[in-house]
Order: sequence, then structure tokens, then C-alpha cells
Amino acid sequence: MDEQELIAGCLRGRMEDFRMIVEHYTGPAMALAINVLGNRDDAEDACQELFIQVYRNLGSYDPRRSFKNWVYTILYRRCLDHLRRRRRSAELVKKMGRETILAMPANPGHSHPRRSLPSDLLERLKAKERTALCLWANEGYTAQEISEVLRCSASTARVYLFQARKKIKTLLEQGHVSLQNV
Amino acid sequence: MSRCKMFELFYALVPLKPWRGLLIRRHIEECPRCLAGLASREAAGSLLVQEREANIGRPLWTEVESALVEDSGGEMMKDRALQSSVMRRWGWAVATAFLVVLITGFLLLKDFRPEGTASAAAAPARFELEYVRVGGQPANAVVYQPQGSDMIIVWAGTNN
Repeated sequence: MDEQELIAGCLRGRMEDFRMIVEHYTGPAMALAINVLGNRDDAEDACQELFIQVYRNLGSYDPRRSFKNWVYTILYRRCLDHLRRRRRSAELVKKMGRETILAMPANPGHSHPRRSLPSDLLERLKAKERTALCLWANEGYTAQEISEVLRCSASTARVYLFQARKKIKTLLEQGHVSLQNV
Repeated sequence: MSRCKMFELFYALVPLKPWRGLLIRRHIEECPRCLAGLASREAAGSLLVQEREANIGRPLWTEVESALVEDSGGEMMKDRALQSSVMRRWGWAVATAFLVVLITGFLLLKDFRPEGTASAAAAPARFELEYVRVGGQPANAVVYQPQGSDMIIVWAGTNN
């Protein structure tokens, strides 16, 4: 079924149509969320929040825009919220003098048997750079399309992508262990 | 100094994103030497988590659906509460407006009633003339009370 028809079905309250949208976007959304957050559990939470928000705001979706970009924009915002929350709780823990509890994304690969984002990538790249890189490498997005998701100018998106690619190249050349062992 | 070095210098000197974006678009994206200094799509993709590896560990749809059902129930309750509250407010507003109109109307009527109207209106109550006879014959009667006076004149006359 056509995506626009599914959206129209959702707007009429057909949950079955929305289930199809959720199933279609779960994989790509999870991949993006993991790459931005570096943590599967947070990524799953972000995806759940994403689909709830998509359903609630489907009425405000502009059909002239790409639905995928719209979904990714919401997901990106959810991920930023998660990162902000994580930073706040980290600061709180730090204030309380219990740094040992802070095991947030320090070693995401070990907390889960499935593949996660290399920790070096998470530490060196900013969230915007990771998002731009993921959209470019996984989805084949152009700078213009990335800018639509990040809600910035194409020039800015180009800069994020350039910086991310440069940093990765440096990391690969330096032969970082955590990058090679993934 | 090579052209690439010059662009690198310009890039480093002005940390403005529009400017940097312009440099990337004009030179870096088209220069094989500069592109060699950047990770390729394949290299970047090999480090990132791909869609096929992003299998979710829990039934996402079930969770989303239950959250939406809960949410819609809550929304419905909220809507109903809001509706009843709005209705209650409107009810009070209408009742108050009606009361105000009633009181104002009463006061206006009381204050602007022409003098003597009350006595004149009361006159027929005081004079219940079922019939008037003059000289044993039925006659027409007219009750007259001059304005501002308590005096009442009854004038009767026959038709002949």
C-alpha cells in the first residue's frame, strides 16, 4: 500500500495502517537512534516515543514534504532530548560525588550482546555530526536532505558531514582499537 | 602554497558555518586530494550500526499501541472533563446574564414609569361598574382621573 494511503488511513483512525508504518520504519529509525545515542536501550525508548509522537502529530504532517524526513526529524529531536537528559543526570550524579555509577554510554558494546556504536565514534563526534554521518552513509542522503532533518541550512549540514568524515578518517588512520574491534 | 592548503587555511581562519559550507561545496567536494582526507561512505557505513543490525529487542508495536490506547483514553477523559467544565461555566454565565437582565428591567420599569399610571391602572380595580342606569335606562359610563390627582370622575349618560 502507498505510504500516503497509509497516512490517510491513520488519520481516519485505522490502527492497522499505523502498525504497518511502525513496522516499516522501526529498522531505519532504530539504526539512526543507536548511531546517535550509542545505546540500544535509549534508542528503543526514543523509537517508542517517536512513533507515539508521529501518531499524535500526523495531522500536522505536510504531504508535500518527505514523510521519511519528517519521521527522522522527530526522531532526531527525541534523541537530543535523551542526550540532554543523560547529561543532566550525569551532572547530578557527579554533584552527588558518585561518579562510579555513571556508566552511561562509556562502554555500550559490553552492556548488550548485539552490535552497538564504537565508543570512540560516540566520544569524538557530536550528535549532529553522527546524525549527518548516519543519514549520509546509511541512507545516502545529500546535504540538502540532511539539512531538512536537522532543521538547519544545507551549508551547516555540509559542515557537520565534513567534520564527521574528517574525524572518522583520522580515527581510522590512527587505528583506534575500539574502532577495529567492532 | 597549493590551492588545497589555501582552502584549508580559509576554512580554519573563519569559523562561520555558511562560509565553511561554501568552501566545502566549491572546493573540497570536488577536489580528489581533499576528498582523500575524508572517510568514504563505505568506511563510515562499516563503523555505523546498519538497519539489518538494528533488530529491536522488544515488541515495539505492542508498546506503542498500548501507549496510544492509554493516551486516547486519558485524552477522552480530559476532553469530557473539559467539556463539562466549559458547559458549567456557560450555564453560570447564562444564568447570571438572565438575572442581570431581569433585575435591570425591573429597575428600569420601576424608575421610568409615568406618574399616575399606578393610580390610573388601579382605578378600574376600585370601580367595578357592572352597569350604570340613568332614569331607569342603561347608560354608558366613563371613568376619568386627571393626572396627578386622586379625584375620580364618573360620567354617565344615556344613548338618547
